[in-house]
Amino acid sequence: MLTQTSLNRILYGSRGFRIRVPISSCTLAAGAGEVYRKVIKVVEEHGVDAEVYRVGCTGLCFMDPWIELAREGLPPAIYGNVKTEQIEHIIKNYSEGDLSEATAVRFKTGSGGPPALEEVDFWRYQVRYVSRNCGLVDPESIYDYIETGGYLGLKKALYMKQEEVIEVIKTSGLRGRGGAGFPTWLKWKIAYEQKNDVKYVICNGDEGDPGAFMNRLLAESDPHRVLEGLIIAGYAVGATRGIIFVRAEKPLMADRLEKAVEDARKLGFLGKNILSSNFNFDVEVYRSAGAFVCGEETALIAAIEGRSRPRQRPPYPATHGLWGRPTVINNVETLAHVATIFQTGVEEFVKHGTEKSRGTKMFCVTGAVKRTGVYEVPIGTKIKTLVFDLAGGSIEGRKVKAVQIGGPSGGCIPAELMDLEMDYESLQSYGAIMGSGGLVVIDDSNCMVDVAKFFTSFTLAESCGKCLPCRVGMRHLSDLLERLTSGEASLEDIEVAQELGESIARSSLCALGGTAPNPILSTLRYFKDEYVEHVVNRRCPAKVCAKLVKYSVDPALCRGCTQCARVCQVGAISGSPGEVHRINYDICIKCGQCLIACPFGAIKKV
Amino acid sequence: MVKVYVNGVEVEVPPGVPIIEAVEKAGYRVPVLCYLNDFFSEATCRLCVVLVNGRVVPACKFPVSDGAKIVTESRELDTYRRMNFQLLLSTHRIKCWSCLRKTSCSLLDLSKQLNLGEFPVCSECPLTGDDCLVAKGEPCLGPLTAAGCSAECTRNGVPCLGCRGYIEDPELWRDSMRDLYEKHGVDGEKLEAAAKFFWSFLPGELKKIISEVSRDK
Amino acid sequence: MYRGRLNPREVVGEVVSKYGCDRGRLVQILQEIQKTFRYLPRESLEEVSEKLGVSLSEVLNVATFYHQFRLEPVGRYIIYVCFGTACYLRGASEVYEAIRRSAGLSNGRSTTEDGLLTVEKARCFGCCSLAPVAMVLSSDGSERYVHGKLTPQAGRRLVFNYRSKARE
Repeated sequence: MLTQTSLNRILYGSRGFRIRVPISSCTLAAGAGEVYRKVIKVVEEHGVDAEVYRVGCTGLCFMDPWIELAREGLPPAIYGNVKTEQIEHIIKNYSEGDLSEATAVRFKTGSGGPPALEEVDFWRYQVRYVSRNCGLVDPESIYDYIETGGYLGLKKALYMKQEEVIEVIKTSGLRGRGGAGFPTWLKWKIAYEQKNDVKYVICNGDEGDPGAFMNRLLAESDPHRVLEGLIIAGYAVGATRGIIFVRAEKPLMADRLEKAVEDARKLGFLGKNILSSNFNFDVEVYRSAGAFVCGEETALIAAIEGRSRPRQRPPYPATHGLWGRPTVINNVETLAHVATIFQTGVEEFVKHGTEKSRGTKMFCVTGAVKRTGVYEVPIGTKIKTLVFDLAGGSIEGRKVKAVQIGGPSGGCIPAELMDLEMDYESLQSYGAIMGSGGLVVIDDSNCMVDVAKFFTSFTLAESCGKCLPCRVGMRHLSDLLERLTSGEASLEDIEVAQELGESIARSSLCALGGTAPNPILSTLRYFKDEYVEHVVNRRCPAKVCAKLVKYSVDPALCRGCTQCARVCQVGAISGSPGEVHRINYDICIKCGQCLIACPFGAIKKV
Repeated sequence: MVKVYVNGVEVEVPPGVPIIEAVEKAGYRVPVLCYLNDFFSEATCRLCVVLVNGRVVPACKFPVSDGAKIVTESRELDTYRRMNFQLLLSTHRIKCWSCLRKTSCSLLDLSKQLNLGEFPVCSECPLTGDDCLVAKGEPCLGPLTAAGCSAECTRNGVPCLGCRGYIEDPELWRDSMRDLYEKHGVDGEKLEAAAKFFWSFLPGELKKIISEVSRDK
Repeated sequence: MYRGRLNPREVVGEVVSKYGCDRGRLVQILQEIQKTFRYLPRESLEEVSEKLGVSLSEVLNVATFYHQFRLEPVGRYIIYVCFGTACYLRGASEVYEAIRRSAGLSNGRSTTEDGLLTVEKARCFGCCSLAPVAMVLSSDGSERYVHGKLTPQAGRRLVFNYRSKARE
């Protein structure tokens, strides 16, 4: 556990003044690179005795890029959405003890001033268990990780017998955080019981779900925690080699993990005779060439073996996995949990969660909400807590219509069911899945049929083409949705979609096909009226489906600037400069370019 | 040896063998297509699906387990098999009149087994190449009539009149059939006349194709 | 590094000797070749198939299966527009269209005629909070930029900036 001295050392650094700048894929996209350079420049120019410290991301993406200033004697203050020109000012004011501009402070030392993190909505409902170090420590420094209690869990585990390690995880009740929620200890036990001189453990960091990025965040911000979990897993099952599987789209994640492996090897946490325990283990980071189906266990193994495509289970990887050897595959977050359980003890872990699923889970809340980000909450937290309390609810003037949970394999939960407590079983019974934990909030400006079409075309493109239902069936579903969104479908088609979807789900080979129709089945379950509206009245209530909307010029707003007429590729817009323009519906192809081009907002969808 | 129950019949099979062996031992049959014993068992066609303890699994790949209760026929399974077979057909451009495999076609066999009349009379007609009546310019309706008659008429040199009705899904054969008629220059009017003999109402799709053939000529 | 004038067969020889004639390393070997040529030239695939003793169809199977591999030459900068859920719902398709239009791409082409830019759809980068997002990679992999909260206008600017950057 983190002692007060360690915490102080981490917070303020050796010089007593640390300026944290998050460097991760998402913060870099928001401009953290410039902020970082600017902070260094300001510190140098003004001779501030501070250490500029690169950290991972906290998951509070809505305030990217942020910086945190921490000087001994002052509460560490977090400044959200900083612009480069504000930095000089912020550092100066903070150094003088003026914290008024901060978004929040880590803890309070007196009354007044900006709120402490425990007081703000986006933090106080969270239980930061695995993500405790995210945004606090330098992900590229193994010493800082050790300072926070890192590799202590490994040390504890190595003192135990292998069965005892498995027993610890069993009492904790940890379930796989990657989707299906399979008990982690059981996977380990099956692999442990296999008699084989070579066994593998694989960390599944493929994370292909659009809308989910907690694994990337965790591995970029605290890579050693994942690695430590992997080493413990390797010890428990008696493996000699571990592989961290990362997809090529996430290069920084792979770089950081590679650095972590290198450092751990140098300090003897990897290699021969780890911590004098006679346990030999080494880890390799494998960069996948990227395919959604690789998130599926057997496809992931196939990818490492240099092939593609999943295969029928059983035999399960725990008995016949990589190169035919017993293989345990665990998700990034699961392994981080393993390391944390060993560091903090089981009691700390089982405090949270439900009877059936213990502990916490990281959820990514994105889409139409005010505060997008990654939030770690106990399993069993209500959807509305995540969407409204933590993420701040819908954007002004909009209404939350549904929440899509679990990526392309998941389903849509309507706004009426926001009281649902999220755990593996309850989500499944309502037609969604926990998946990796991505929540995409859909508001009334989105069309549910279009959402279903998006996911169906996604899984269609990602289908590996091995088994028939997924390869051909998804094509038919996709065509059908295309017809629906262009108003050419009949009511019978909706029935066909239902029947076909169920057939694909039940008879496909792997989990991808088995869950691919979920988006369409769940939207049919809760939003059938929207489907019917598309068929019967040939109308898209949300005005999204291009072929069912019409563009028109609002004469009150049009100033005759001719912008729209110029971008129109088919010449459907007429009107001379200064006059109200008209759209000829016989020619209009509804490409929507005029709407984007109009500087006055005079073109509207009807 | 492990004991399994196929539709309630108890059989003993060696552990680890695919379910299909137990099913066959018990004297039942499941439709298979992609499965070639000992050579290919990747479970890709999903036609051999059976229920094992309530779970849908492919019989050709899924191993037996002790005490497993296997069901080979049910309404649910039938739906999946038909659905998957139709999906397969939807990507299959029917050209039975020129297909080399017509005498040993697993698809045709399966179509009969599952009772799906989606193949043309040509699949049963022994005439090929220059002997084919269409190739001789006759208005034979074989390519668009549902099979099942053993092609008695065409066997004896009489052009098919379509007494068994047309194939239901024109998507499957429209393109190839148009090519066929056009290639051999069959008279569209004669074709239409022949079609009217049995099909008092022509579905729109057929009418369109036939009139296109006659117009192109 | 970009070594356009090299003989694909030689490069494959180097790469294969580095990884060993191991069929299990096929993906890494292809990744390495792509790093050199920016894409996978046909000859290199033939050479890989010979060296590893794997049929060409199997090599092609892997090369076409994964998104990372490309069989056609690419532009100097590749603009990947994210089509993840969050990006899609926030209007990625409009951004994508705007970018393609201003890059002058049509008829399913993805690389501009001057060979400077390639525009492609991509799967989620995990920057959903900044949706819609585009990632720009230089084809030799040395530069990587992420642009968030795009609009069609910002997309057009992006094309302009990278085109002039590529000309340098």
